[in-house]
Amino acid sequence: MKVARGNDFRSGLSGIRSLDPAGWVFAAMNLVFLVCAVGLGGFLLVESVPVVRSEGLGFWLGENWWVGETFGALSMICGSLIVTGLAVSLVLPVALSGALFTSEYLAPSLRRRVKGVMELLAGVPGIIYGLLGVSFLTVGIKDVLNLLDGNTLFTAGCLLAIMILPTVLTLAEDALHSVPAEFREAAQGLGLTKLQTAWRVVLPQSLPGIAGAVLLGVGRAMGETIAVMLVIGSLDKVPGFNIFVAGQTIPSKLGREAAQALGSEQHWSALMGLGLTLFLMVAAFTFLGNIFIKRSSR
Amino acid sequence: MGRYKKVWIGLVFFLITGWGLVSETVAGSRVQIVGSTTVLPVASRSAQKFMASSKVRILVNAGGSGVGIHSVAQGRADIGMASRGISPDEKKRFKKSRLKTHSVGLDAVACVVSTEIYQAGVRHLTPTQIAGIYMGKIRNWKEVGGPDRQIVVIDKERHRGTRHAFMQYVFGNATQRTPGTLLVTGSNNEEQAKIAQSDSAIGMLSFAWINEDVKAVSLGSKGKEFLPTWEAVRQGRYPIVRKLNFVTAGEPEGEVKAFIDFVKGSEGQKIVAESGYIPVDDEIFQP
Repeated sequence: MKVARGNDFRSGLSGIRSLDPAGWVFAAMNLVFLVCAVGLGGFLLVESVPVVRSEGLGFWLGENWWVGETFGALSMICGSLIVTGLAVSLVLPVALSGALFTSEYLAPSLRRRVKGVMELLAGVPGIIYGLLGVSFLTVGIKDVLNLLDGNTLFTAGCLLAIMILPTVLTLAEDALHSVPAEFREAAQGLGLTKLQTAWRVVLPQSLPGIAGAVLLGVGRAMGETIAVMLVIGSLDKVPGFNIFVAGQTIPSKLGREAAQALGSEQHWSALMGLGLTLFLMVAAFTFLGNIFIKRSSR
Repeated sequence: MGRYKKVWIGLVFFLITGWGLVSETVAGSRVQIVGSTTVLPVASRSAQKFMASSKVRILVNAGGSGVGIHSVAQGRADIGMASRGISPDEKKRFKKSRLKTHSVGLDAVACVVSTEIYQAGVRHLTPTQIAGIYMGKIRNWKEVGGPDRQIVVIDKERHRGTRHAFMQYVFGNATQRTPGTLLVTGSNNEEQAKIAQSDSAIGMLSFAWINEDVKAVSLGSKGKEFLPTWEAVRQGRYPIVRKLNFVTAGEPEGEVKAFIDFVKGSEGQKIVAESGYIPVDDEIFQP
Protein backbone atom coordinates (compact mmCIF):
# COMPACT_ATOMS: atom_id res chain seq x y z
CA MET A 1 0.00 0.00 0.00
CA LYS A 2 2.72 2.36 1.06
CA VAL A 3 4.85 1.56 -1.98
CA ALA A 4 1.94 2.11 -4.24
CA ARG A 5 1.34 5.50 -2.69
CA GLY A 6 4.99 6.47 -3.09
CA ASN A 7 4.81 5.57 -6.73
CA ASP A 8 1.65 7.53 -7.04
CA PHE A 9 3.32 10.55 -5.54
CA ARG A 10 6.37 10.27 -7.77
CA SER A 11 4.35 9.78 -10.90
CA GLY A 12 2.17 12.66 -9.79
CA LEU A 13 5.16 14.95 -9.67
CA SER A 14 6.89 13.51 -12.73
CA GLY A 15 5.18 16.12 -14.87
CA ILE A 16 7.31 18.78 -13.21
CA ARG A 17 10.46 17.88 -15.12
CA SER A 18 8.96 18.76 -18.43
CA LEU A 19 7.29 22.00 -17.38
CA ASP A 20 7.31 24.99 -19.70
CA PRO A 21 7.20 28.56 -18.26
CA ALA A 22 3.42 28.64 -18.13
CA GLY A 23 3.50 25.37 -16.23
CA TRP A 24 5.80 26.94 -13.67
CA VAL A 25 3.38 29.81 -13.19
CA PHE A 26 0.59 27.32 -12.58
CA ALA A 27 2.77 25.40 -10.15
CA ALA A 28 3.60 28.61 -8.30
CA MET A 29 -0.09 29.49 -8.05
CA ASN A 30 -0.76 26.04 -6.67
CA LEU A 31 1.90 26.70 -4.07
CA VAL A 32 0.23 30.01 -3.17
CA PHE A 33 -2.98 28.16 -2.47
CA LEU A 34 -1.18 25.56 -0.39
CA VAL A 35 0.63 28.22 1.65
CA CYS A 36 -2.67 30.05 2.24
CA ALA A 37 -4.48 26.95 3.45
CA VAL A 38 -1.72 25.72 5.72
CA GLY A 39 -0.82 29.24 6.83
CA LEU A 40 -4.40 30.03 7.83
CA GLY A 41 -4.75 26.89 9.92
CA GLY A 42 -1.34 27.40 11.49
CA PHE A 43 -2.05 31.06 12.25
CA LEU A 44 -5.34 30.28 13.98
CA LEU A 45 -3.70 27.50 15.94
CA VAL A 46 -0.79 29.63 17.13
CA GLU A 47 -2.95 32.65 17.94
CA SER A 48 -5.41 30.65 19.99
CA VAL A 49 -2.75 29.04 22.19
CA PRO A 50 -2.96 31.66 25.02
CA VAL A 51 -6.71 31.30 25.52
CA VAL A 52 -6.65 27.51 25.40
CA ARG A 53 -3.76 27.51 27.82
CA SER A 54 -5.62 29.66 30.35
CA GLU A 55 -9.11 28.20 29.84
CA GLY A 56 -8.31 24.61 28.91
CA LEU A 57 -11.29 22.58 27.79
CA GLY A 58 -13.44 25.20 29.47
CA PHE A 59 -13.02 27.27 26.36
CA TRP A 60 -15.30 24.89 24.48
CA LEU A 61 -17.45 23.80 27.41
CA GLY A 62 -17.82 27.08 29.32
CA GLU A 63 -21.02 29.07 29.02
CA ASN A 64 -19.77 32.46 30.14
CA TRP A 65 -18.04 34.84 27.77
CA TRP A 66 -16.98 37.74 29.95
CA VAL A 67 -14.30 39.81 28.32
CA GLY A 68 -11.41 40.36 30.68
CA GLU A 69 -12.40 37.47 32.93
CA THR A 70 -13.34 34.22 31.29
CA PHE A 71 -14.01 32.95 27.80
CA GLY A 72 -16.41 30.07 27.19
CA ALA A 73 -17.60 29.44 23.65
CA LEU A 74 -20.33 26.89 24.24
CA SER A 75 -23.21 29.24 23.47
CA MET A 76 -21.70 30.22 20.12
CA ILE A 77 -20.86 26.64 19.16
CA CYS A 78 -24.42 25.55 19.97
CA GLY A 79 -25.79 28.56 18.11
CA SER A 80 -23.75 27.78 15.01
CA LEU A 81 -24.81 24.13 15.00
CA ILE A 82 -28.49 24.91 15.55
CA VAL A 83 -28.65 27.64 12.94
CA THR A 84 -26.79 25.61 10.33
CA GLY A 85 -28.78 22.46 11.05
CA LEU A 86 -32.00 24.40 10.78
CA ALA A 87 -30.95 26.02 7.51
CA VAL A 88 -29.95 22.70 5.95
CA SER A 89 -33.08 20.86 7.03
CA LEU A 90 -35.24 23.68 5.69
CA VAL A 91 -33.31 23.86 2.44
CA LEU A 92 -33.01 20.15 1.62
CA PRO A 93 -36.59 19.33 0.61
CA VAL A 94 -37.01 22.55 -1.36
CA ALA A 95 -33.65 22.33 -3.10
CA LEU A 96 -34.01 18.64 -3.96
CA SER A 97 -37.47 18.89 -5.42
CA GLY A 98 -36.59 22.09 -7.22
CA ALA A 99 -33.47 20.53 -8.68
CA LEU A 100 -35.33 17.38 -9.75
CA PHE A 101 -38.01 19.43 -11.45
CA THR A 102 -35.54 21.71 -13.20
CA SER A 103 -33.36 18.87 -14.39
CA GLU A 104 -35.92 16.22 -15.31
CA TYR A 105 -39.11 18.05 -16.24
CA LEU A 106 -38.23 21.46 -17.61
CA ALA A 107 -37.67 22.02 -21.33
CA PRO A 108 -33.98 22.77 -22.08
CA SER A 109 -34.55 26.42 -23.00
CA LEU A 110 -36.52 27.12 -19.82
CA ARG A 111 -33.99 25.20 -17.77
CA ARG A 112 -31.20 27.47 -18.97
CA ARG A 113 -33.14 30.53 -17.88
CA VAL A 114 -33.99 29.10 -14.48
CA LYS A 115 -30.33 28.18 -14.00
CA GLY A 116 -29.28 31.68 -14.92
CA VAL A 117 -31.54 33.16 -12.26
CA MET A 118 -30.32 30.68 -9.65
CA GLU A 119 -26.69 31.43 -10.36
CA LEU A 120 -27.40 35.14 -10.20
CA LEU A 121 -29.05 34.72 -6.80
CA ALA A 122 -26.21 32.54 -5.54
CA GLY A 123 -23.86 35.47 -6.01
CA VAL A 124 -25.89 37.99 -3.98
CA PRO A 125 -23.78 39.06 -0.98
CA GLY A 126 -24.82 38.26 2.58
CA ILE A 127 -25.44 41.86 3.59
CA ILE A 128 -28.32 42.13 1.11
CA TYR A 129 -30.01 39.12 2.67
CA GLY A 130 -29.23 40.55 6.08
CA LEU A 131 -30.93 43.86 5.34
CA LEU A 132 -33.99 42.14 3.91
CA GLY A 133 -34.00 39.86 6.94
CA VAL A 134 -33.83 42.66 9.47
CA SER A 135 -36.53 44.70 7.77
CA PHE A 136 -39.01 41.96 6.82
CA LEU A 137 -38.17 38.53 8.19
CA THR A 138 -37.76 39.45 11.87
CA VAL A 139 -41.02 41.40 11.92
CA GLY A 140 -42.85 38.79 9.85
CA ILE A 141 -41.77 35.85 11.97
CA LYS A 142 -42.66 37.72 15.14
CA ASP A 143 -46.18 38.44 13.88
CA VAL A 144 -46.87 35.07 12.27
CA LEU A 145 -45.60 32.93 15.13
CA ASN A 146 -46.76 35.43 17.76
CA LEU A 147 -43.34 35.58 19.40
CA LEU A 148 -42.07 38.02 21.96
CA ASP A 149 -39.41 39.20 19.54
CA GLY A 150 -38.35 38.33 16.01
CA ASN A 151 -34.59 38.27 16.50
CA THR A 152 -34.13 34.55 17.12
CA LEU A 153 -32.07 31.51 16.17
CA PHE A 154 -35.05 30.39 14.09
CA THR A 155 -35.02 33.65 12.12
CA ALA A 156 -31.31 33.27 11.43
CA GLY A 157 -31.86 29.66 10.30
CA CYS A 158 -34.65 30.73 7.92
CA LEU A 159 -32.57 33.56 6.53
CA LEU A 160 -29.62 31.26 5.94
CA ALA A 161 -31.90 28.71 4.29
CA ILE A 162 -33.08 31.37 1.84
CA MET A 163 -29.48 32.43 1.34
CA ILE A 164 -28.00 29.02 0.56
CA LEU A 165 -31.00 27.78 -1.42
CA PRO A 166 -29.79 29.03 -4.84
CA THR A 167 -26.30 27.58 -4.30
CA VAL A 168 -27.55 24.17 -3.21
CA LEU A 169 -30.25 24.14 -5.86
CA THR A 170 -28.03 24.94 -8.79
CA LEU A 171 -25.25 22.57 -7.74
CA ALA A 172 -27.67 19.74 -7.03
CA GLU A 173 -29.27 20.37 -10.38
CA ASP A 174 -25.86 20.13 -12.05
CA ALA A 175 -25.32 16.78 -10.37
CA LEU A 176 -28.71 15.47 -11.50
CA HIS A 177 -28.28 16.76 -15.01
CA SER A 178 -24.86 15.17 -15.42
CA VAL A 179 -26.34 11.68 -15.10
CA PRO A 180 -25.93 10.24 -18.64
CA ALA A 181 -29.06 10.09 -20.78
CA GLU A 182 -28.61 6.34 -21.29
CA PHE A 183 -29.72 5.70 -17.72
CA ARG A 184 -32.99 7.50 -18.32
CA GLU A 185 -33.53 5.79 -21.64
CA ALA A 186 -32.82 2.38 -20.16
CA ALA A 187 -35.19 3.06 -17.27
CA GLN A 188 -37.93 4.22 -19.56
CA GLY A 189 -37.28 1.19 -21.76
CA LEU A 190 -38.00 -0.95 -18.72
CA GLY A 191 -41.35 0.78 -18.36
CA LEU A 192 -40.63 3.11 -15.45
CA THR A 193 -42.60 6.34 -15.32
CA LYS A 194 -40.83 9.67 -15.38
CA LEU A 195 -41.23 10.08 -11.63
CA GLN A 196 -39.87 6.60 -10.97
CA THR A 197 -36.92 7.29 -13.25
CA ALA A 198 -36.09 10.51 -11.50
CA TRP A 199 -36.54 9.12 -8.02
CA ARG A 200 -35.09 5.61 -8.38
CA VAL A 201 -32.46 6.04 -11.08
CA VAL A 202 -31.26 9.62 -11.50
CA LEU A 203 -31.30 10.64 -7.84
CA PRO A 204 -29.22 7.72 -6.48
CA GLN A 205 -26.74 8.14 -9.31
CA SER A 206 -26.14 11.78 -8.49
CA LEU A 207 -26.06 11.45 -4.71
CA PRO A 208 -22.34 12.26 -4.34
CA GLY A 209 -22.80 15.48 -6.31
CA ILE A 210 -25.83 16.44 -4.25
CA ALA A 211 -23.95 15.76 -1.03
CA GLY A 212 -21.21 18.05 -2.32
CA ALA A 213 -23.79 20.75 -3.02
CA VAL A 214 -25.21 20.47 0.49
CA LEU A 215 -21.71 20.60 1.99
CA LEU A 216 -20.97 23.81 0.17
CA GLY A 217 -24.24 25.18 1.51
CA VAL A 218 -23.29 24.13 5.04
CA GLY A 219 -19.96 25.88 4.64
CA ARG A 220 -21.60 29.10 3.54
CA ALA A 221 -24.24 28.94 6.26
CA MET A 222 -21.69 28.30 8.98
CA GLY A 223 -19.44 31.11 7.89
CA GLU A 224 -22.06 33.77 7.21
CA THR A 225 -21.42 36.75 9.44
CA ILE A 226 -23.30 39.91 8.70
CA ALA A 227 -26.69 38.50 7.72
CA VAL A 228 -26.79 36.40 10.88
CA MET A 229 -25.50 39.22 13.05
CA LEU A 230 -28.39 41.45 12.03
CA VAL A 231 -31.19 39.02 12.93
CA ILE A 232 -29.95 36.65 15.63
CA GLY A 233 -30.09 38.97 18.64
CA SER A 234 -26.44 38.48 19.62
CA LEU A 235 -27.15 37.08 23.05
CA ASP A 236 -24.45 34.79 24.50
CA LYS A 237 -26.67 32.19 26.06
CA VAL A 238 -26.77 28.43 25.57
CA PRO A 239 -30.16 28.07 23.92
CA GLY A 240 -31.25 24.62 25.08
CA PHE A 241 -34.11 23.23 23.00
CA ASN A 242 -35.92 26.48 22.41
CA ILE A 243 -34.97 27.89 19.02
CA PHE A 244 -37.31 30.87 19.35
CA VAL A 245 -34.93 32.88 21.50
CA ALA A 246 -31.99 35.12 20.66
CA GLY A 247 -28.59 33.46 20.36
CA GLN A 248 -25.16 33.86 18.90
CA THR A 249 -23.11 32.07 16.27
CA ILE A 250 -19.34 31.97 16.02
CA PRO A 251 -19.12 34.34 13.04
CA SER A 252 -21.64 36.80 14.51
CA LYS A 253 -19.60 36.92 17.71
CA LEU A 254 -16.43 37.51 15.69
CA GLY A 255 -18.16 40.25 13.75
CA ARG A 256 -19.33 41.98 16.92
CA GLU A 257 -16.06 41.91 18.80
CA ALA A 258 -13.21 41.81 16.29
CA ALA A 259 -12.67 45.57 16.11
CA GLN A 260 -12.66 45.87 19.88
CA ALA A 261 -10.26 42.97 20.41
CA LEU A 262 -7.64 43.97 17.85
CA GLY A 263 -4.31 44.15 19.62
CA SER A 264 -5.54 43.06 23.03
CA GLU A 265 -3.91 39.80 23.92
CA GLN A 266 -6.36 37.49 25.63
CA HIS A 267 -9.53 38.74 23.98
CA TRP A 268 -7.95 38.51 20.54
CA SER A 269 -6.70 35.04 21.29
CA ALA A 270 -10.20 34.03 22.36
CA LEU A 271 -11.63 35.26 19.06
CA MET A 272 -8.92 33.37 17.17
CA GLY A 273 -9.87 30.32 19.22
CA LEU A 274 -13.44 30.79 17.99
CA GLY A 275 -12.12 31.02 14.44
CA LEU A 276 -10.16 27.82 14.90
CA THR A 277 -13.25 26.09 16.27
CA LEU A 278 -15.27 27.15 13.25
CA PHE A 279 -12.47 26.02 10.94
CA LEU A 280 -12.42 22.59 12.60
CA MET A 281 -16.21 22.32 12.53
CA VAL A 282 -16.34 23.00 8.79
CA ALA A 283 -13.43 20.60 8.25
CA ALA A 284 -15.22 17.91 10.24
CA PHE A 285 -18.39 18.37 8.21
CA THR A 286 -16.47 18.17 4.95
CA PHE A 287 -14.69 15.06 6.15
CA LEU A 288 -17.92 13.35 7.18
CA GLY A 289 -19.51 14.42 3.94
CA ASN A 290 -16.68 12.90 1.94
CA ILE A 291 -17.04 9.62 3.78
CA PHE A 292 -20.73 9.68 2.98
CA ILE A 293 -20.01 10.38 -0.67
CA LYS A 294 -17.54 7.50 -0.87
CA ARG A 295 -19.97 5.14 0.82
CA SER A 296 -22.87 6.02 -1.38
CA SER A 297 -20.88 5.92 -4.62
CA ARG A 298 -19.76 2.38 -3.95
CA MET B 1 10.52 33.32 -23.74
CA GLY B 2 9.22 35.31 -26.69
CA ARG B 3 5.82 33.73 -26.46
CA TYR B 4 5.35 35.00 -22.92
CA LYS B 5 6.48 38.54 -23.59
CA LYS B 6 2.95 39.88 -23.34
CA VAL B 7 2.43 38.18 -20.03
CA TRP B 8 5.58 39.70 -18.56
CA ILE B 9 4.74 43.16 -19.85
CA GLY B 10 1.29 42.83 -18.36
CA LEU B 11 2.68 41.74 -15.04
CA VAL B 12 5.15 44.63 -14.85
CA PHE B 13 2.42 47.10 -15.79
CA PHE B 14 0.15 45.66 -13.13
CA LEU B 15 2.80 45.98 -10.45
CA ILE B 16 3.67 49.55 -11.36
CA THR B 17 0.05 50.71 -11.31
CA GLY B 18 -0.53 48.89 -8.08
CA TRP B 19 2.46 50.54 -6.43
CA GLY B 20 1.42 53.92 -7.78
CA LEU B 21 -2.00 53.58 -6.19
CA VAL B 22 -0.57 52.48 -2.86
CA SER B 23 2.00 55.26 -2.63
CA GLU B 24 -0.57 57.86 -3.60
CA THR B 25 -2.86 56.93 -0.71
CA VAL B 26 0.04 56.93 1.71
CA ALA B 27 1.34 60.30 0.57
CA GLY B 28 -1.82 62.40 1.08
CA SER B 29 -2.18 63.43 4.72
CA ARG B 30 -5.08 61.65 6.35
CA VAL B 31 -6.78 61.78 9.70
CA GLN B 32 -8.44 58.57 10.76
CA ILE B 33 -11.29 58.82 13.27
CA VAL B 34 -12.96 55.76 14.79
CA GLY B 35 -15.34 55.04 17.64
CA SER B 36 -18.62 55.93 19.32
CA THR B 37 -21.74 56.09 17.17
CA THR B 38 -23.03 58.81 19.49
CA VAL B 39 -20.15 61.14 18.63
CA LEU B 40 -20.10 60.07 14.98
CA PRO B 41 -22.62 62.61 13.63
CA VAL B 42 -20.60 65.45 15.15
CA ALA B 43 -17.33 64.14 13.75
CA SER B 44 -18.57 63.40 10.26
CA ARG B 45 -20.43 66.71 9.84
CA SER B 46 -17.43 68.60 11.17
CA ALA B 47 -15.13 66.65 8.88
CA GLN B 48 -17.20 67.64 5.87
CA LYS B 49 -17.02 71.31 6.77
CA PHE B 50 -13.33 71.07 7.67
CA MET B 51 -12.34 69.35 4.45
CA ALA B 52 -14.03 72.05 2.39
CA SER B 53 -11.27 74.46 3.35
CA SER B 54 -8.37 72.08 3.76
CA LYS B 55 -6.41 69.45 1.84
CA VAL B 56 -6.50 67.01 4.72
CA ARG B 57 -8.60 63.92 4.17
CA ILE B 58 -10.61 62.83 7.18
CA LEU B 59 -12.07 59.34 7.42
CA VAL B 60 -14.73 58.74 10.05
CA ASN B 61 -15.77 55.20 11.02
CA ALA B 62 -18.16 53.76 13.60
CA GLY B 63 -17.38 50.95 16.05
CA GLY B 64 -18.27 52.05 19.55
CA SER B 65 -16.42 53.84 22.34
CA GLY B 66 -14.32 50.82 23.29
CA VAL B 67 -13.18 50.39 19.71
CA GLY B 68 -12.34 54.10 19.49
CA ILE B 69 -10.19 54.07 22.61
CA HIS B 70 -8.43 50.82 21.69
CA SER B 71 -7.76 51.95 18.14
CA VAL B 72 -6.16 55.23 19.12
CA ALA B 73 -4.13 53.58 21.88
CA GLN B 74 -2.72 51.08 19.42
CA GLY B 75 -2.04 53.61 16.71
CA ARG B 76 -4.68 52.41 14.28
CA ALA B 77 -6.50 55.75 14.39
CA ASP B 78 -5.49 59.35 15.01
CA ILE B 79 -8.59 60.29 16.96
CA GLY B 80 -10.85 57.98 18.93
CA MET B 81 -14.45 58.99 19.56
CA ALA B 82 -15.83 58.03 22.96
CA SER B 83 -19.15 58.82 24.60
CA ARG B 84 -17.63 57.99 27.97
CA GLY B 85 -14.38 58.59 29.81
CA ILE B 86 -11.47 56.20 29.69
CA SER B 87 -12.19 53.38 32.13
CA PRO B 88 -9.68 52.58 34.90
CA ASP B 89 -9.01 49.27 33.22
CA GLU B 90 -8.22 50.92 29.90
CA LYS B 91 -6.07 53.54 31.65
CA LYS B 92 -3.98 50.77 33.15
CA ARG B 93 -3.66 48.82 29.94
CA PHE B 94 -2.78 51.75 27.71
CA LYS B 95 -0.55 53.63 30.14
CA LYS B 96 2.17 53.92 27.54
CA SER B 97 -0.09 55.63 25.01
CA ARG B 98 -0.67 58.62 27.33
CA LEU B 99 -4.30 58.87 26.26
CA LYS B 100 -5.79 62.34 26.41
CA THR B 101 -9.48 63.22 26.22
CA HIS B 102 -10.86 66.37 24.63
CA SER B 103 -14.50 67.09 25.39
CA VAL B 104 -16.41 68.37 22.42
CA GLY B 105 -19.95 68.29 23.76
CA LEU B 106 -22.44 66.96 26.28
CA ASP B 107 -25.11 64.34 25.90
CA ALA B 108 -27.73 62.68 28.05
CA VAL B 109 -28.80 59.04 28.02
CA ALA B 110 -32.45 58.15 28.23
CA CYS B 111 -34.22 55.00 29.28
CA VAL B 112 -36.49 54.36 26.30
CA VAL B 113 -39.47 52.09 25.70
CA SER B 114 -41.53 51.14 22.66
CA THR B 115 -44.27 53.63 21.79
CA GLU B 116 -47.01 51.09 22.58
CA ILE B 117 -45.73 50.74 26.13
CA TYR B 118 -45.40 54.48 26.56
CA GLN B 119 -48.95 55.03 25.38
CA ALA B 120 -50.20 52.25 27.64
CA GLY B 121 -49.09 54.33 30.59
CA VAL B 122 -45.45 53.57 31.41
CA ARG B 123 -44.08 57.12 31.72
CA HIS B 124 -41.80 56.79 34.71
CA LEU B 125 -39.34 54.18 35.97
CA THR B 126 -37.22 54.18 39.10
CA PRO B 127 -33.64 52.88 39.05
CA THR B 128 -34.82 49.95 41.20
CA GLN B 129 -37.46 49.03 38.64
CA ILE B 130 -34.99 49.27 35.76
CA ALA B 131 -32.49 47.20 37.72
CA GLY B 132 -35.17 44.59 38.36
CA ILE B 133 -35.99 44.43 34.67
CA TYR B 134 -32.35 44.06 33.62
CA MET B 135 -31.63 41.47 36.32
CA GLY B 136 -34.59 39.36 35.15
CA LYS B 137 -36.65 39.84 38.32
CA ILE B 138 -39.35 41.90 36.64
CA ARG B 139 -40.47 40.20 33.45
CA ASN B 140 -43.87 41.70 32.71
CA TRP B 141 -44.83 45.31 32.03
CA LYS B 142 -47.79 44.76 34.35
CA GLU B 143 -45.42 44.91 37.33
CA VAL B 144 -44.37 48.49 36.55
CA GLY B 145 -47.79 49.83 35.62
CA GLY B 146 -47.97 48.78 32.00
CA PRO B 147 -50.01 46.29 29.98
CA ASP B 148 -49.90 42.54 30.59
CA ARG B 149 -47.08 41.82 28.18
CA GLN B 150 -43.64 40.30 28.56
CA ILE B 151 -40.72 42.74 28.49
CA VAL B 152 -38.20 42.58 25.65
CA VAL B 153 -35.06 43.64 27.49
CA ILE B 154 -32.53 45.15 25.09
CA ASP B 155 -28.94 45.57 26.20
CA LYS B 156 -25.88 46.93 24.41
CA GLU B 157 -22.42 45.49 23.81
CA ARG B 158 -20.39 45.82 26.97
CA HIS B 159 -17.80 48.29 25.77
CA ARG B 160 -20.36 50.84 24.52
CA GLY B 161 -20.27 54.30 26.10
CA THR B 162 -24.05 54.63 26.33
CA ARG B 163 -24.19 51.38 28.28
CA HIS B 164 -21.49 52.55 30.70
CA ALA B 165 -23.40 55.74 31.50
CA PHE B 166 -26.74 53.95 31.83
CA MET B 167 -25.51 51.07 33.97
CA GLN B 168 -23.56 53.46 36.17
CA TYR B 169 -26.83 55.23 36.97
CA VAL B 170 -28.94 52.10 37.41
CA PHE B 171 -26.50 49.82 39.23
CA GLY B 172 -23.64 52.08 40.22
CA ASN B 173 -21.44 49.78 38.14
CA ALA B 174 -20.64 50.61 34.52
CA THR B 175 -19.91 47.01 33.53
CA GLN B 176 -22.79 45.33 35.36
CA ARG B 177 -23.84 41.91 34.04
CA THR B 178 -27.52 41.68 33.22
CA PRO B 179 -28.98 38.17 33.12
CA GLY B 180 -32.44 39.48 32.19
CA THR B 181 -31.28 40.57 28.73
CA LEU B 182 -33.11 39.15 25.72
CA LEU B 183 -31.28 40.96 22.92
CA VAL B 184 -27.90 42.61 22.54
CA THR B 185 -27.35 45.44 20.08
CA GLY B 186 -24.40 47.54 19.00
CA SER B 187 -24.77 51.01 17.57
CA ASN B 188 -27.41 53.61 18.50
CA ASN B 189 -29.07 53.03 15.14
CA GLU B 190 -29.32 49.30 15.70
CA GLU B 191 -30.76 49.68 19.18
CA GLN B 192 -33.22 52.33 17.99
CA ALA B 193 -34.40 50.07 15.16
CA LYS B 194 -34.85 47.01 17.39
CA ILE B 195 -36.84 48.97 19.96
CA ALA B 196 -39.01 50.51 17.25
CA GLN B 197 -39.66 47.09 15.67
CA SER B 198 -40.79 45.64 18.98
CA ASP B 199 -43.97 46.62 20.78
CA SER B 200 -42.80 45.86 24.31
CA ALA B 201 -39.12 46.71 24.48
CA ILE B 202 -36.97 48.65 26.91
CA GLY B 203 -33.52 49.98 26.13
CA MET B 204 -31.05 52.82 26.46
CA LEU B 205 -30.40 55.56 23.92
CA SER B 206 -28.65 58.86 23.59
CA PHE B 207 -31.15 61.76 23.59
CA ALA B 208 -30.35 62.54 19.96
CA TRP B 209 -31.82 59.19 18.83
CA ILE B 210 -35.23 59.57 20.42
CA ASN B 211 -38.13 59.92 17.94
CA GLU B 212 -41.80 59.02 17.50
CA ASP B 213 -41.09 55.27 17.56
CA VAL B 214 -38.97 55.22 20.70
CA LYS B 215 -40.13 57.18 23.73
CA ALA B 216 -38.07 58.23 26.74
CA VAL B 217 -39.50 57.72 30.21
CA SER B 218 -38.74 59.97 33.16
CA LEU B 219 -36.35 58.71 35.82
CA GLY B 220 -35.84 59.24 39.52
CA SER B 221 -37.22 57.89 42.76
CA LYS B 222 -38.71 58.93 46.11
CA GLY B 223 -41.06 61.50 44.73
CA LYS B 224 -38.39 63.13 42.56
CA GLU B 225 -38.98 62.94 38.88
CA PHE B 226 -36.46 63.80 36.20
CA LEU B 227 -38.10 64.47 32.87
CA PRO B 228 -36.07 63.41 29.84
CA THR B 229 -35.87 66.90 28.35
CA TRP B 230 -32.97 69.10 27.35
CA GLU B 231 -34.31 71.72 29.70
CA ALA B 232 -33.87 69.38 32.67
CA VAL B 233 -30.38 68.52 31.46
CA ARG B 234 -29.42 72.18 31.18
CA GLN B 235 -30.68 72.87 34.68
CA GLY B 236 -28.64 69.97 36.03
CA ARG B 237 -31.73 68.04 37.01
CA TYR B 238 -31.28 65.01 34.77
CA PRO B 239 -29.20 62.16 36.23
CA ILE B 240 -27.48 60.53 33.24
CA VAL B 241 -25.29 63.13 31.57
CA ARG B 242 -21.96 62.36 30.00
CA LYS B 243 -19.25 64.10 28.04
CA LEU B 244 -18.65 63.36 24.40
CA ASN B 245 -14.94 63.00 23.88
CA PHE B 246 -12.23 62.88 21.28
CA VAL B 247 -9.31 60.76 22.46
CA THR B 248 -5.74 61.15 21.26
CA ALA B 249 -2.52 59.41 22.18
CA GLY B 250 -0.44 62.19 23.73
CA GLU B 251 -0.88 65.86 22.83
CA PRO B 252 -2.45 66.26 19.39
CA GLU B 253 -0.29 67.81 16.67
CA GLY B 254 -0.65 69.14 13.16
CA GLU B 255 -3.84 68.29 11.30
CA VAL B 256 -5.23 66.32 14.24
CA LYS B 257 -4.89 69.35 16.50
CA ALA B 258 -6.33 71.60 13.80
CA PHE B 259 -9.41 69.37 13.49
CA ILE B 260 -10.00 69.08 17.24
CA ASP B 261 -9.66 72.86 17.57
CA PHE B 262 -12.13 73.26 14.74
CA VAL B 263 -14.73 71.09 16.50
CA LYS B 264 -14.13 72.90 19.80
CA GLY B 265 -14.36 76.26 18.04
CA SER B 266 -17.52 78.21 17.29
CA GLU B 267 -18.25 76.52 13.96
CA GLY B 268 -17.75 73.05 15.39
CA GLN B 269 -19.86 73.77 18.46
CA LYS B 270 -22.67 74.91 16.19
CA ILE B 271 -22.51 71.48 14.55
CA VAL B 272 -22.60 69.86 18.01
CA ALA B 273 -25.83 71.72 18.74
CA GLU B 274 -27.28 70.85 15.31
CA SER B 275 -26.51 67.18 15.94
CA GLY B 276 -28.76 67.26 18.98
CA TYR B 277 -26.19 67.68 21.76
CA ILE B 278 -25.13 70.48 24.11
CA PRO B 279 -21.99 72.48 23.25
CA VAL B 280 -19.22 72.30 25.86
CA ASP B 281 -19.21 76.00 26.56
CA ASP B 282 -22.96 76.18 27.11
CA GLU B 283 -23.33 78.93 29.69
CA ILE B 284 -26.28 77.54 31.57
CA PHE B 285 -25.04 74.01 32.07
CA GLN B 286 -21.94 73.28 34.10
CA PRO B 287 -21.79 69.75 35.52
